[in-house]
Amino acid sequence: MEREYHVCTGCALLCDDIELREEENKTIIDSACRKGVAWIKNCQHPLECTVDAKDATSQDAIEKAAEILKSAKNPLIFGMGNSSLKAQEKAIELAKKSNACIDDTSSFCQGPFVEAILNDTIKSCTLDEVRDKADVIVFWGCDPSNSHPRHLSKYSYFPRGRMRQRGWEEDRTAIAIDVRKSDTAIICEDNFYRIPPKADAEFARALTEALSGKVPKVTFGMKPKEILELANVLKKAEFGVIFAGLGLVYSMHDLSPMEDLLEALNKKTDFHLMPMVGQYNMRGFNHTLFDQTGYINRVSFDGEDIGHGPQYSVVEVLKEKRVDAALIIGSDPLSSLPGSIAANLKEIPTIVIDPCKTFTSQIANVTIPSAVTGVECKGEAIRMDGVKVELTQMRKSDKMADADIIEKIMEAI
Amino acid sequence: MGFDQFLSSPEMEILIITHRDIFQSAANSDSRFSDDYANLTAIIRLDKQDMKKAGLKEGNLVTIENSAGKVVVKALQSTYEEPHPGTAYMVNGPWVNALVSAETSGTGVPAFKYIEAKMKKSKESSITSFE
Amino acid sequence: MANAMEIYQLLPKTNCKKCGKSSCMAFAAALLSREKKLDECTPMLEEEKYSENYTKLKGLVSPAEEASETGMIVHEERCIGCGNCVVACPVNVAEDPKGAGSGNAPTNERVILKVEDGVVRLSNVEDCRRFGENKILCSGCIVTCPTKAIEFV
Repeated sequence: MEREYHVCTGCALLCDDIELREEENKTIIDSACRKGVAWIKNCQHPLECTVDAKDATSQDAIEKAAEILKSAKNPLIFGMGNSSLKAQEKAIELAKKSNACIDDTSSFCQGPFVEAILNDTIKSCTLDEVRDKADVIVFWGCDPSNSHPRHLSKYSYFPRGRMRQRGWEEDRTAIAIDVRKSDTAIICEDNFYRIPPKADAEFARALTEALSGKVPKVTFGMKPKEILELANVLKKAEFGVIFAGLGLVYSMHDLSPMEDLLEALNKKTDFHLMPMVGQYNMRGFNHTLFDQTGYINRVSFDGEDIGHGPQYSVVEVLKEKRVDAALIIGSDPLSSLPGSIAANLKEIPTIVIDPCKTFTSQIANVTIPSAVTGVECKGEAIRMDGVKVELTQMRKSDKMADADIIEKIMEAI
Repeated sequence: MGFDQFLSSPEMEILIITHRDIFQSAANSDSRFSDDYANLTAIIRLDKQDMKKAGLKEGNLVTIENSAGKVVVKALQSTYEEPHPGTAYMVNGPWVNALVSAETSGTGVPAFKYIEAKMKKSKESSITSFE
Repeated sequence: MANAMEIYQLLPKTNCKKCGKSSCMAFAAALLSREKKLDECTPMLEEEKYSENYTKLKGLVSPAEEASETGMIVHEERCIGCGNCVVACPVNVAEDPKGAGSGNAPTNERVILKVEDGVVRLSNVEDCRRFGENKILCSGCIVTCPTKAIEFV
């Protein structure tokens, strides 16, 4: 029997073994985790097509959106982590056409690590390589059991791999470093290292010292012996990987402690780092923008040269009120940004493209419903490890794909 | 019965750290306007002793305030084995983000996982609404 | 999992005692405690007028019935569908090495644990290593579960 597999776009693992089955007029989703199933199923409050809070046709909404972007001197285009590669390309094209500032969630999320990987200052690997070869796996500041539920069962710890035929019990060691005993830390049992908030850089430096034979010291009470033991486990790995979560990203001022640690590890063995990207195609946007401009985010097309830097980040441009219109694609800044900064969106004309109602869509001037990519329309995406994945369509829908909506807005400008 | 009931509820300084919760993520995908979502997001998980000190029972509403903002959420006991006095946990969402400072030193990255605030039992009758 | 009252409402309520219990309420309690199986109520099994209720009850009690032999229960409200138990189960590894045994979707029906609609479902529970003549105290699915959703009672 020919099995038909689909790709779940609930998170950046892009699990490609999802099956759909009809049973008693219901569709059962096989193999997707609880988060994936919630993503794939229809949401309770789909977004309606509106202009100034009144029902409108998609034609009217698109024209109004084009009008807003055309009359704006410096608009912002933000989001795109939940859009297909094609939609992201179109969004960048639109940004160029409307002299806009373009930024995505990596700006206040995994941007630093993705940038380091694309600039070759940090060594990374693929999820398949982790499954086949990894014997030492470190979950640093992340909790995949809650953010990427199938992470440990599909790739990083439990499965047997080509070079790890005896699986997790004998061939792999999972280590968790966190400020609390998360669900993932519970799985790591005795290999859980608890550090206080903001101590990640200090801990990384201590491990780096331990690797070069010095006695590691930290100010938060962990004994040097414990740190040395951990450094030894890392040193003896044949293929190691650090999964870097937001707990790690947010605690460090810059990446140098991690870059130094990886350099020290790679002098003795083969160690890699992978960012725990949340949205299924955030990396797609980073790669696409990088190919075109050399930057992964925070770019301004206003003016002769391409501008880049924190001053063009969504947080700063909204805080300093430097943009006079906003196009939000598949994101909810009123829910994910600091309240006082997100509130500034209420003062400028805002367009929201999303499948479902969000806090941001409630205050938007124009709302345009879009199809969920990978569920209601096809597309392509880049997984959290940089591998390109082809997305299928799981069910029929007459909603427009965001790539088409953006194309139509451009035509109307 | 003592003088406690005549004093205003004790105010407590806490450090809030945010985390991910799969049940909340699933409710987020389902609907951001459902009771399920509010029940899983507008909550703060506290250390058992901290709850006693602040005079809180499971499910009481608390007002949390700092220079960035003020919210009312439900207080629940955390499920961690080890005590964590002074630290509380919230899931990422509009409630905790109302308390995240806009101060970024120009880096574009707010301090999402390190929020200092004052908490006390709330006189309000419902959680803050963002609709 | 239903409670005794919900189960009682779907039974014949004739107190015929064919199942060996003195009343239908007692049978409902026995179903919950896994002392009795639904098919022991022969009127429900045989008579056409009870067929709709029979189907409903079957759906309500079958997870516990399947569990009855090995005492294996899934607390669905705690299960996150992570699939750790699916890939850690030695029976899954033996029966479907490239599929469930490698962390992927199952490729045959002989697996005993698989994720459906976001939570774990049991099937072929009699193949679990904790049951049968050569039973062992296997705990693969229990220790790998991050939320303690799988239990052996």
